[in-house]
Amino acid sequence: MKSVLVALSAGAALLLTACGGSPTGTNPSTGGAGVPTPPAASLTGAGATFPAPFYSAAFYAYNQKFSQVTVNYQSVGSGAGIQQLTKKTVDFGASDVPMSSTELAAAGGADNVVQIATTLGTESLAYNLSGVSNGQVRLTPDTIAGIFLGKIKKWNDPALAADNSGVSLPSQAITVVHRSDGSGTTYIFTDYLSNVSADWKSGPGKGKSVNWPVGQGAKGNEAVATTIKQTPGAIGYVELAYVLQTGMTQASLKNKDGSFVIPSEAGATAAAKQFPDVTPAQFSIVNAPGKDSAPITGYSWLMVYKDEADKTKGTALVDMLYWLVTDGQQYGSNTHYAKLPSNMVNNDIVALKTVTSAGSALLSVPAPS
Amino acid sequence: MRRGTAAERVIPAPLVASSRQRRLLAGDRIFQGLALASAILILLIAAIFMVALFLPALPAIRRFGLGFFVTRTWDPVRQIFGALPALYGTLVTSAIGIVIAFPIGLGAALFLAEEARLGFLRGPLSFAVELLAGIPSVVIGLWAFFILTPLMRDNVDPFLRQTLGFLPLFQGTANGYGYLTAGVVLAIMVLPIMVALSRDVIRAVPRALREASLALGATKAETIWSVILPYARVGITGAVLLSLGRALGETIAVTMVIGNRPVIAASLFSSGYTLPSVLANEFTEAVGPLYQGSLFYLGLVLVLITIAVNVLARVLVWRFSGSEPASL
Repeated sequence: MKSVLVALSAGAALLLTACGGSPTGTNPSTGGAGVPTPPAASLTGAGATFPAPFYSAAFYAYNQKFSQVTVNYQSVGSGAGIQQLTKKTVDFGASDVPMSSTELAAAGGADNVVQIATTLGTESLAYNLSGVSNGQVRLTPDTIAGIFLGKIKKWNDPALAADNSGVSLPSQAITVVHRSDGSGTTYIFTDYLSNVSADWKSGPGKGKSVNWPVGQGAKGNEAVATTIKQTPGAIGYVELAYVLQTGMTQASLKNKDGSFVIPSEAGATAAAKQFPDVTPAQFSIVNAPGKDSAPITGYSWLMVYKDEADKTKGTALVDMLYWLVTDGQQYGSNTHYAKLPSNMVNNDIVALKTVTSAGSALLSVPAPS
Repeated sequence: MRRGTAAERVIPAPLVASSRQRRLLAGDRIFQGLALASAILILLIAAIFMVALFLPALPAIRRFGLGFFVTRTWDPVRQIFGALPALYGTLVTSAIGIVIAFPIGLGAALFLAEEARLGFLRGPLSFAVELLAGIPSVVIGLWAFFILTPLMRDNVDPFLRQTLGFLPLFQGTANGYGYLTAGVVLAIMVLPIMVALSRDVIRAVPRALREASLALGATKAETIWSVILPYARVGITGAVLLSLGRALGETIAVTMVIGNRPVIAASLFSSGYTLPSVLANEFTEAVGPLYQGSLFYLGLVLVLITIAVNVLARVLVWRFSGSEPASL
């Protein structure tokens, strides 16, 4: 009897939304605990490719939950996403690196834009060595920099052997594989290298594209992963998701506290927790302290205008984003995105509460304690 | 212009125009106007296109000038950009593609046009050529990425190193990604153009010439070598240059196997870069006027090279054909 009632009320809610009316009353099937029920709107966003699988899973789930809101995300690249936001052709932009001061100036100044972290990514160093299994190769900041600077050329280099006493590394040439397209993945990795190696910092430096001293480029995470898989002796930096989904072997990485960790979602969240004061201007979280921290980790960012011209749309936007950084985080786990640490969720909510339309705040949830 | 005078010679203007003829003349004028408008529109589009490419490139042109073409560094972090490695890679991979595709394409074209004995193979061969021409380049790229690169690394490259290793072209380690593999991919992609155009050109050789040659006692091979090929060389040159045009601009399939590295190396086994690959790789995340400008500058270079190839085609065709004008 009870289930029939639930089904009936769910049906009534469906009918209401299908008719275009906003769901009324306190029907539990339209709003979750604490998640605001958004008004009907169609939202578009554009930007980074890295969080795209998470966004599509999350936005699909949001539409299942609130059928009155559809979110269309185009993964055209961070640069293009920021440009489209600046031209106001999209409701939100997404980027693996927060907007730079010049980009903010083009968008009307830092005070005009709200930037929130939506998910956490961590990178692995995947390798192709026959007979060497997952996590067996142990790499330190020095050896990683040495390999990517081209100073360590062979797998049996003494510098590598020092940390890998139990493993028989072959006398094979190391083929370095890196991204050839500009990417946030490259930014985070080169940020890490600049952080741990003075030679890298004064050499190639950090950026979405850099002048690589050695190796060959492949376009996109998939191509890097595949190139490593079919090139004996290859090593490259790949998003954790691609390593896990394609069953690649990855190295244990020595973190700042000196412990060797195999990058994981939990390791990414642990690393992010170490930086409670992250802001869009100070966003680097690589080489984190803490014994569980995965060292090559970074946030992915999403940006909206602080002043929304369309109140209904703006409300739907902040309601959706509130859900994305709270309940929506669970949809990252299938695709190996790490959950935001609670301090960052709070920062995001505080930031979202500053989004206004005609002077009045749009997000009607209590401020986090 | 010349065509117009020829037409006037063939159809002299009537001394007295009937009303029907006047209507035709009016129709002619309308047609002429439309044709002129279309011609101007195309010129306009070309002009707008060049301006749209030139203006965003200006910051890079001002900063680097012609030094862009001799600079070997491509460093987005330090904002130093040079086109030389990509320019070199584009020319080398296209040259490899043509060198491989030319003899194969010409042979297949001669078979299709001239060989009668194994005629039953003609249908399947023509079909295969059409099929190859219809495969989207990204699919060829995928095939090359998954099948060709390991094949080159494990079989072709070691063989070349053993047999021709005394040449600097075939020295050094090979991991399957680089100029040679990209060149092979380009050869596969331009082969259909080469075969189809050469076949049509060879077929257009007048029957009387063939028969005259054979009647004089020439063998089939002699006829092909001394009569058909010399007659068809203008068209075959056109086929080669059109293939080159395709090879220069090919983007995605090359990007998947070139190794995407802005270096210049003598060895064909080495990774490299091409102009279209740089554009495809870096446009999405290129920020700042100088970085974007440098990419536009590369695009401008690519367009200018393509124009240069076309001009070269014309010059070659004029030289081969003497005074007689011919179009591609």
